[in-house]
Amino acid sequence: MDCRKIMLPSIIIYGLINSVILALIAMGFSLTFGISGVANFAYGGFYLFSGFLVWMLLNYLKFPLILAIMVTIGVTGLLGFVTYWVILLRVRGIALSEVIATFALGVGILELFRWMGFVTYEFTLPYLKKGMILIAGVPVDYQRLFIIGIGLGLVLFLYFFTHYTRIGLSFRGIAQNERTAISLGIKSDRTAALSLAFGSAMAAVAAIVILPLGIISINTGYEVLLIAVAVGIVGGLESVPGILVASLILGYAQVITGTYFKPEWMMVVYLAAIVLVLGIRPSGLFGKFKELEERV
Amino acid sequence: MKYRKERLDRGIKARCEDIFALSSYREILYLAFPRVLPVAVLLILPLLKDVVGLYWEKVLMISCIIALLALSWDLMASVGLISLGQALFFGAGAYITGFLNHAFKLPPILTIPLGTLAGALFCTLLLSPVLRLRGVYFAIVTLTLPLLLARFIETTKILGGTEGMSGLSPLPDIWIEMYVPVLALLLCLFGFRRLINEDYGLVLQGIRDNDRAVMSGAINIYWFKAQAVFLAGLAGSFAGAFMTHYNQVVGMAAFAMDYSILPLTAAVLGGVGSFAGPTIGAFILVPLSEMLRAVGTLRVVFYSAILIICVVGLPEGVFHYIRRKYHQFERMVEVG
Amino acid sequence: MGKKGLLALGFLVLAVIIGFPYAAVAQLKPGDPIVIGVPTALGSIEGRDGWMAIQMAVEEINAKGGVQVGATKHLLRAYSIDTREHEPGIPVQDALTATEKLILEKKPHAIALGNFRSEVLLASMDLMSKYKLPYICSIAMTPLFQKKIADEYDKYKYCFRNCLNSPYLAMYMTEVMKFIGKQFGFKKAYIIVQDTLWAQATGKGLDKWLKENGWEVASFDAYALGSSDFSPSLIKVRAQKAQGIVTFFDMPQSGILLKQARAMKIPALLAGFISPVAPENAWDVFEKEVEGMVNMQFEIGPVPVKAVPKSVAFNENFGKRWGKEARVKLSGHGPGPSYDSIYIFANAIERAKTVEPDAVVKALEQTDMQGVVGRIRFGKDHQVVYGVDPKEAALGCCFQWKKPGTRVVVFPEVVAEGKIELPPYMK
Repeated sequence: MDCRKIMLPSIIIYGLINSVILALIAMGFSLTFGISGVANFAYGGFYLFSGFLVWMLLNYLKFPLILAIMVTIGVTGLLGFVTYWVILLRVRGIALSEVIATFALGVGILELFRWMGFVTYEFTLPYLKKGMILIAGVPVDYQRLFIIGIGLGLVLFLYFFTHYTRIGLSFRGIAQNERTAISLGIKSDRTAALSLAFGSAMAAVAAIVILPLGIISINTGYEVLLIAVAVGIVGGLESVPGILVASLILGYAQVITGTYFKPEWMMVVYLAAIVLVLGIRPSGLFGKFKELEERV
Repeated sequence: MKYRKERLDRGIKARCEDIFALSSYREILYLAFPRVLPVAVLLILPLLKDVVGLYWEKVLMISCIIALLALSWDLMASVGLISLGQALFFGAGAYITGFLNHAFKLPPILTIPLGTLAGALFCTLLLSPVLRLRGVYFAIVTLTLPLLLARFIETTKILGGTEGMSGLSPLPDIWIEMYVPVLALLLCLFGFRRLINEDYGLVLQGIRDNDRAVMSGAINIYWFKAQAVFLAGLAGSFAGAFMTHYNQVVGMAAFAMDYSILPLTAAVLGGVGSFAGPTIGAFILVPLSEMLRAVGTLRVVFYSAILIICVVGLPEGVFHYIRRKYHQFERMVEVG
Repeated sequence: MGKKGLLALGFLVLAVIIGFPYAAVAQLKPGDPIVIGVPTALGSIEGRDGWMAIQMAVEEINAKGGVQVGATKHLLRAYSIDTREHEPGIPVQDALTATEKLILEKKPHAIALGNFRSEVLLASMDLMSKYKLPYICSIAMTPLFQKKIADEYDKYKYCFRNCLNSPYLAMYMTEVMKFIGKQFGFKKAYIIVQDTLWAQATGKGLDKWLKENGWEVASFDAYALGSSDFSPSLIKVRAQKAQGIVTFFDMPQSGILLKQARAMKIPALLAGFISPVAPENAWDVFEKEVEGMVNMQFEIGPVPVKAVPKSVAFNENFGKRWGKEARVKLSGHGPGPSYDSIYIFANAIERAKTVEPDAVVKALEQTDMQGVVGRIRFGKDHQVVYGVDPKEAALGCCFQWKKPGTRVVVFPEVVAEGKIELPPYMK
């Protein structure tokens, strides 16, 4: 039957799309954490902030889409930078305070938007390009292809950025050994602030390509944090290969569950994966064993 | 002419923070007053239900519940475990209690203790693998677990699914409704304070400050951490177990973020590490949030603002500030 | 240790000042207003629209001098409080505390609109019997509500409901599907619902009916609240060549289901309920992609039905009172019944000649009047009876989106203003 023939390609294609979505969401969180050790719990807040910012720029100020996207990525990055200098700098090194401050900031941003009435279904972002094509008999819309493209592009960009640019190298320096890096003249605070800015900007990129698929709702913000964290736990928070592998595992597991089982079980995949990984390898599949020696 | 503030400890303080040399009834009263007064107020308030009004009695009860959760948070923080998910304890206790009552028709007098114990045990087992990890990692896992458990119940439809279990037995009478949380709070407050000053508590604090040093003393720190989580779980699960019977319903909202954010804010506002601090925090925050009800969702934004301000600008918390003022003289002295 | 004592004392003093014992105000003195409490999720579209409809009804009644209670006339006054219960993270007890605050501070004689989430509705019924407050619920749809009243009538007799519930919704949908099957020869349906009790219950009822009546149900999928990617199901719809997609959703995200179906060019007729598709402005919001969708209107009013003049008047007046902007956003569930509930109360109080709760409940049970939703009568289980004829019962309807952006009522036949047509992409 036709039905069987289309099933396998559709799982392969939609599994990949789903994996890239998860990776896009998780990458910004992991980047910040890997470099500066700051778990940016305001991540979901930043993600949603950029979604609403694009919407407001488009609808209130009538910006063209491309300009709105540029401005949003810039502003969200700046927000991350300022967050570091205004809040995190004062509590740096106290894990408790870092966690609470960023978490509170994220919740504050999300609930502020809720209070401002951003709760109905009018808040959707436009597709970058409408329409769809058939790949091996499976309909895929252009937006999802963009997501794959941008996801891959971002991974490549990060690789080259961290290996061949000054800022990128200083990121890795701080991540590997903060004190040695400082002694070599890399400014720890500046690098940490930049890492937060980068993480936030990546949240904005993820929001701009992913949000058009659905609507911008407040709960998405919490969900995004949840996804970022779940992927991080499974893959190992600070490890980029870990994030990619975990995204693939979770992404495909979800789509298979959704197709052969019931769509509503897709959320349970996270819980099952987290419980499994915690039981077997608490630091995550690719995470370094971080029980005592490290700060985390 | 320049002045600076000089702080002097009161004379009864001998050698260190906690040892006092008392020489008169006045001094005993001075020490006893701040301990006895809140206890007395908590015990007397429910008696005045006709004067205070049932609504504010309810606020008192909710304050006690949040204070219990804040205490359980603080106990875990004393071992260095930062939790962002007190709702996990609350929800576990609530659901187990609700299930026992719903499925086996056990009376509240059995379900609440059983739910408390089983809830704490469940959480300890669930968290035990994570106890090996420190700091942020623990926070991350505790943040996700309650949210995912709620989703799990939603999809699998076990334990009543999205509708929850309703029509549970009510608590037998209004005095029990009012006094049980108050007594539980007092028990936990003074119990935990005592505990943390015993040798046992010193081990716990040692783990927080320097876990390797404690390990080198041939102490199994994971076992101690697990015990601390269990104790904290008892307080948190009891809150959930009690509220289940009070509301006569348990649903996914038992894992709600509110039960994580409010205790956290209370603890940070009141002052971490003293147990009295989180209690005070809860008794400031809950009535305050009732008054702020008119502003709706903006309440949560206020909590967030309070959290950030406290963490960044007032890290010691209200309690430590008040204690300092109570125990010290302050005067301006001339400099230079 | 410190001033913890002082703080506690302050709390006590504060408590004494602000809280005062509640005493039921059963007797009205001349000049006293009749107070209606409206605890609901004001942040939800159903709650927002319902509250506007209630204010409108109150103003209309007051403009005519108020409600005649025995010898004196009394003005109505409505107060709302936000229970925020549409946010999934809000604990039941928090919503109940909000309701109780409203009850204790404003001392209402009746409660209208009420709960959004089913579990909160069930829990708040105990609150209503505690304070003996007549209560008409206009949003939450769980059938357990009626069961609770039937089981313990004396305790829960204060609670009524005048909006549609899940069994009635399934009843309407079976009729529509019967019609679609007959007219277009469709035989294969695909059911997609939201994973909440009312939607699941409605979907299952329909599933059973379809299978018994010669339809093939390709699959029955449920999506968790907050999901916004429906592609797994849509791919299967396409693969299995289902001709009709039946949907039941009331979360804002569900609108995207329609967009995704169009983006993937799924050749199937969409029928059922998707809340964002119900309002008048959906044509523009979805950039004309709603064309052809057959959507339920749980209770008429937001969709004017010419056979029920009051629904047309309601629709127009709502636009006049709150502006066109608000009218085009009127949600598919809630506004009509909330508006009616005020008239039902006024009517019952006039007949009871008192605001004493038990007498009002008695009068409410005998309600028989024409409202925005059609004829309003309560059944023995305190649920308003819905049917297909506005002269006999209250009315829900089905409409289809047609060019140039109008909602054409296609069901029930008695009031229909057009016929169901295949959407352009299926012709």
